[in-house]
Amino acid sequence: MAGHIVSFKGCIVILMSAVLVNNYVLSKFLGICPFLGVSKKLDQATGMSIAVIFVMLLATAVTWPIQHYLLDPNGLGYMQTVVFILVIATLVQFVEIVLKKYIPGLHASLGVYLPLITTNCAVLGVTILNIDESYSFIESLVNAFGSGLGFLLAMVLFAGVRSRLESGDPPEAFKGLPITLIAASIVSVSFFGFAGIIENLFA
Amino acid sequence: MTKLDNFTKGIIRENPVLVLVLGTCPTLATSTQTSNAIGMGAAATIVLLCSNAAISALRKVIPDKVRIPCYIVLIAAFVTIVQMLVKAFAPSLNEALGIYLPLIVVNCIILGRAEMYANKNTVGDSVVDALGMGVGFTLTLFVMASIREIFGSGAWFGMAIPFLQNFKISIMTLAPGGFFVFGCLIAVVNRIMMKKGKPRRSLGCKSCPCAEACGKASCETEGKGAEA
Amino acid sequence: MSENMIVSVSPHVRSGMTTQKIMAIVLIALIPAFAASIVFFGARAIAVVAVCACAAVISEYIFEKITKRPSTIGDLSAVVTGVLLAFNLPVSIPLWMAALGSAVAIVVVKQLFGGIGKNFANPAITARIVMLLAFPTAMTTWTAANTVIHTGAVDAVTGATPLGLMAAGETAALPGLSELFFGQCAGCLGETSALALLIGFVILLCTGVITWHTPVVYVATVFVFTWLIGEDPVRHILSGGLLLGAIFMATDYSSTPSTAWGRVIFGLGAGIITTFIRVWGNYPEGVSFSILLMNILTPHISNWTRSKPLGMIVEKKGAN
Repeated sequence: MAGHIVSFKGCIVILMSAVLVNNYVLSKFLGICPFLGVSKKLDQATGMSIAVIFVMLLATAVTWPIQHYLLDPNGLGYMQTVVFILVIATLVQFVEIVLKKYIPGLHASLGVYLPLITTNCAVLGVTILNIDESYSFIESLVNAFGSGLGFLLAMVLFAGVRSRLESGDPPEAFKGLPITLIAASIVSVSFFGFAGIIENLFA
Repeated sequence: MTKLDNFTKGIIRENPVLVLVLGTCPTLATSTQTSNAIGMGAAATIVLLCSNAAISALRKVIPDKVRIPCYIVLIAAFVTIVQMLVKAFAPSLNEALGIYLPLIVVNCIILGRAEMYANKNTVGDSVVDALGMGVGFTLTLFVMASIREIFGSGAWFGMAIPFLQNFKISIMTLAPGGFFVFGCLIAVVNRIMMKKGKPRRSLGCKSCPCAEACGKASCETEGKGAEA
Repeated sequence: MSENMIVSVSPHVRSGMTTQKIMAIVLIALIPAFAASIVFFGARAIAVVAVCACAAVISEYIFEKITKRPSTIGDLSAVVTGVLLAFNLPVSIPLWMAALGSAVAIVVVKQLFGGIGKNFANPAITARIVMLLAFPTAMTTWTAANTVIHTGAVDAVTGATPLGLMAAGETAALPGLSELFFGQCAGCLGETSALALLIGFVILLCTGVITWHTPVVYVATVFVFTWLIGEDPVRHILSGGLLLGAIFMATDYSSTPSTAWGRVIFGLGAGIITTFIRVWGNYPEGVSFSILLMNILTPHISNWTRSKPLGMIVEKKGAN
């Protein structure tokens, strides 16, 4: 259980770190599949990322209480993996059904990405990391939001780069995924510049 | 296809990481050190073996509509068991793999093989397939990790190579190095496939376990009749 | 996309400028800075620049040979990349590292993507950052500048760069403004002498190779923001790689916007990020990262600042 005081500043640090310094895609390698697959077009990239943020928040909101009020007190910590993934899978199904019924417009644009998110390591990753880092409930939500935001940033930036790659001319063996990965490595390199800014800004 | 063919396809021809492009997250993350890579590969292979066997054995029993959640439960159960074993017998590996050990449960390789192979084939065949895929995965991890560790830390399996210590290229063990080595490895495999005259696959939607579910989302715009 | 067909509407006017001519002008503009580097850092500067330029040309030649593409080393762009990279390195850098950096710049950042014009990131800047991450100690070992021309090995006297001193808060040891202007301070080969770089700027501007937008806006933004934060703005614009980056690298055709407003936005963004990294980041210098980050944003900037063709009607997006 989190025994420390939750401060606004602390939350901002968590948020900005998740976006810039410990970016889920570019540093932690979570969510690579959608990153490589769906970042080709800007509207798809944004749609996917918003869906990810939404699911991350929801998943955190449900899994955190389950861990702290159900699993830990009953010594069922080892069930974390099974329970979390089931929760996420059910949640996503549920959200899809609700969206389809009540907000069909939203479902048409975002709903298609939801099944992809179920097996996305980023979502399960953030729920587990929240527990590993002993965040409080508020901090966990902030972390989830920040991670999703980082995902969005990486996707949007990469969509721009990929549009440049379209008119590129790599050697035959590098066409497709390899050159995309090399572009990703360059984008990942650029994020190193943010090291230290968040802590020093709010120190 | 023969049993041997079934096994070897997972190594080059249908290498889960380099050709089918599944399981990219753990590949990039755990290939900083060769020992971690082998550990991850082994853990994933064990889970893959168990899940393929179990799902194949139960393939006539599990109703089609709820098969994905059922697979997930089965896989999660095996992952939990492996997690506990690793925690008990190899705590340093547990530390090193961190979050990627439980994340095996969403490793597309496992769910993908279950969806594409285990639920359509006998237990025997599924086990061989799992072995092949697992070995292919571990081998890829091993190669990537070796490259990154040797060039990045001048060591191999944690043992420093004296000559290389002065020529360390630290970026190899960092995130960008991972992307770069991965990209180059896929290019190498592409080249090998091209030489053999096999057509190159685009980002394979067909092998992704969610392909049917995501239908319209088009992982690649050339997905299964997807609207772009 | 077909390589050989460029479809455009009349009138067709050829300006007579070739890539080779442009690159030659850039090289001429870099001569003052090169001279300054020899004056302040000794003969080894020549070695570093030569190694970088040669490694760049050789790697481009070998790559194009292996991939059976027409050789482009004659357009001098590889030479420029090599020289610019060398100007971003400390004089004491081991030569094999410099060569490797050049190779990375040419092969990975430029050629793999399709060659000149197809790269989205500035090759010299990206290679410099990669080298910083790959060889952290070698890339941050600075030599104190000298006023006497050296013919032998470089002095093993290490000194901190002005930005490094500022970041550490050691104001007593800071060089004076005139020293910063002329270049008599520790730093990378080509970045120390503001005077030399400004001469180059004038050459590039007068020959029309670059426009004023990016460099002026970039430097002005850093000036304004550092002043707003309470740091010494003049010191900031004279220190570190700001002038080198703003004049020679933030103006690279392939990786920066081509519209006027786009260039302004580029300069603005780069200036803000540079200030942030310099003041609060762990690295004392933020120019390289800022330029690379803005390179990555360039496709989006170009989209935003694209001028509407005459008569185009913007369709409303239909409800999805």
